[in-house]
Amino acid sequence: MTNAPVIETNGLGKSYGKTNAVRDLDLTVGPDRITAFLGLNGAGKSTTIRMLLGMVKPSGGSGAVLGKSIGDPAAGLDVRRQVAYVSEDKRLYAYMTVEQMIRFTSSFYLDWRADVVKTLLKQYDLPPGQKIRSLSKGMRTKVALLLAFARRPELLILDEPSEGLDPVGIEDLLQALVAQCAEGTTVFFSSHQIAEVERVADQVCILHHGRLVLDASVDDIRQSYRQIDIVFPSLPAELQVQFQLAGVENIRTRGHQMNVFASRNADAVVERARDLHASSIEVTPVGLRDIFLQKVKEN
Amino acid sequence: MFFRLKPSAGQPLYLQLMEQIRHAIENGALQDGAQLPGIRTLAEELLVSPNTVAKAYSELEHAGVLELRHGSGAFVSVSRRARALTDRVRAAEKRVSNLIEELRAEGLRDEEICRLFEAGLVQQSEAVRK
Amino acid sequence: MLWYKSWLETRSRFMISLLGSVALCSFYVYHWDKEAMPYTKPEYYYYGLHGGHSLLCVLWVLTVTLLTMGGLLRERAAGTAPFTLALPVSRMRLMATRVSVGVLQAMALVIFPWSAMFLIGGLTGKTHSMYQAFFHIVLLAGGGIVFFGVAFLISSLVEGEYTAPIVSFGILLVVGVVLGNGSLRGYSPWDFIAGADYFDRTTGLLIGPIPWMHIVVSILLGALFVAISAKAIQTRDF
Repeated sequence: MTNAPVIETNGLGKSYGKTNAVRDLDLTVGPDRITAFLGLNGAGKSTTIRMLLGMVKPSGGSGAVLGKSIGDPAAGLDVRRQVAYVSEDKRLYAYMTVEQMIRFTSSFYLDWRADVVKTLLKQYDLPPGQKIRSLSKGMRTKVALLLAFARRPELLILDEPSEGLDPVGIEDLLQALVAQCAEGTTVFFSSHQIAEVERVADQVCILHHGRLVLDASVDDIRQSYRQIDIVFPSLPAELQVQFQLAGVENIRTRGHQMNVFASRNADAVVERARDLHASSIEVTPVGLRDIFLQKVKEN
Repeated sequence: MFFRLKPSAGQPLYLQLMEQIRHAIENGALQDGAQLPGIRTLAEELLVSPNTVAKAYSELEHAGVLELRHGSGAFVSVSRRARALTDRVRAAEKRVSNLIEELRAEGLRDEEICRLFEAGLVQQSEAVRK
Repeated sequence: MLWYKSWLETRSRFMISLLGSVALCSFYVYHWDKEAMPYTKPEYYYYGLHGGHSLLCVLWVLTVTLLTMGGLLRERAAGTAPFTLALPVSRMRLMATRVSVGVLQAMALVIFPWSAMFLIGGLTGKTHSMYQAFFHIVLLAGGGIVFFGVAFLISSLVEGEYTAPIVSFGILLVVGVVLGNGSLRGYSPWDFIAGADYFDRTTGLLIGPIPWMHIVVSILLGALFVAISAKAIQTRDF
């Protein structure tokens, strides 16, 4: 088992006319991990995924999936054999029944597992004989997920998988992602559901305006990101300058209160506050939601 | 035992899990030699990445708290406790022999020393019962 | 399984087209023959079959154009393009399947209705020789390939679920009108498939050797349009 990245891009970019959907992206997704891809709507997540799968031609840069260049259509075929993908829309052929979709899809993959299909059909409560066009959105989503989870691919890519699912469906989804990872599949998914990402992801990448603004392990984030709330009885001179320490991302002041948002080095901030005779210093951990909002508001 | 992990607590999940496993062993929820759930099973139950569980188990194995048997799973380390026990007994043995030497040097005979120990133990257990 | 998908996708359209064509053409010939008197000359019956053939030509172009509705562009409008494109098959293979199924269906839409007309003609009146039937069939099946090519190309260039066939009809209509008059008459594909250039009014039969060169040109044009479609789909971003 090598540690070669499963997905790797180098300066990958895509522009539509004057708009840059993706800019200079250097993304690395490691094997046997669950990596989450966060970003606002229109940040370029779907475009990036489509470039990785050969559906969209990059305007610049290069990329490789499972070691094979995304610019090579012949290699792309090999890659798609080992990759399971669930698109944002999760639309399937309206004229086929659930059973026909399963039969159709299974014919293309060697890693198909019929026993898992049986289990999931029961678990998701899906009617095999019903046409896709007559299913509700939630059920359609489940069929799309089933078609991916019934396989044992090297890489599983999901674009907003929890959209259209109720809370039970989301629990089932997370359980399936965990199961896939446990069986040796690398999971790469984009999401808006920060709570779910925070729970299940090993690594998180934040995309903003087509650029990667954060790429870190979730555990590292937990350990080093801190909010420090400080109260000064009398505000020191040039407060903002005094706290321009390494790792400080944002400083807000209101009257005698000060809030410091630090990606690391919280201890140094606390020390500086003590040196400046702060009357109260409170250090609290920062959740992924706040980090995400901080990163996307920076621009 | 039921583990509860808090993703927003500012502490890596694998550390939280390690603490909770240690706690479970200490308060008896997990007995010596008991088997913990498999990595995949626990990960699916807690809805966290299998890497989190794997790291927690691996770190605890390093610390001697768990024993990871290839193919069977993770078990609470018995030998750790057993070894600790024999260590204590051995240490006690040394202290007893030191005390016996001291008493002999003061002129006491072996039968008297033996009677003193027996009486002392009986007294102790009576005190405990009271 | 791609053939299976193409079949399921076009099944209802195909069956309706097939049954509709068979029914309409059979009825045409039946009705024509019914009008005949016992002493009517055989040419009358031959006119019936030729008329039925003209009807079939119109029906054929309509139904074949409708059947070419599909492909990745249509899937993009329907939202299933990401799923199809994620399959481990090349875009060329997807297109090749669609072309094959389409051509087979188009051929069936010539052979079955013609067989029905021939049978009905035989029962209710008189039929001309197998050679004549063959002549007619080859004109439509071979000469019609160019229509298939145009419709296929449009389905690979025009987005939307139902827009492509409408644009195709429009183009074919314009072609028919422009080439229908005067000096360009010889190039009109509509006239060619109906056999207008070879029809003898006195005998009611198609005269002359079968124009294989014209048919080959039509097939080559159709193939050219399909090749252009292939390039268009290959380079498109989805």
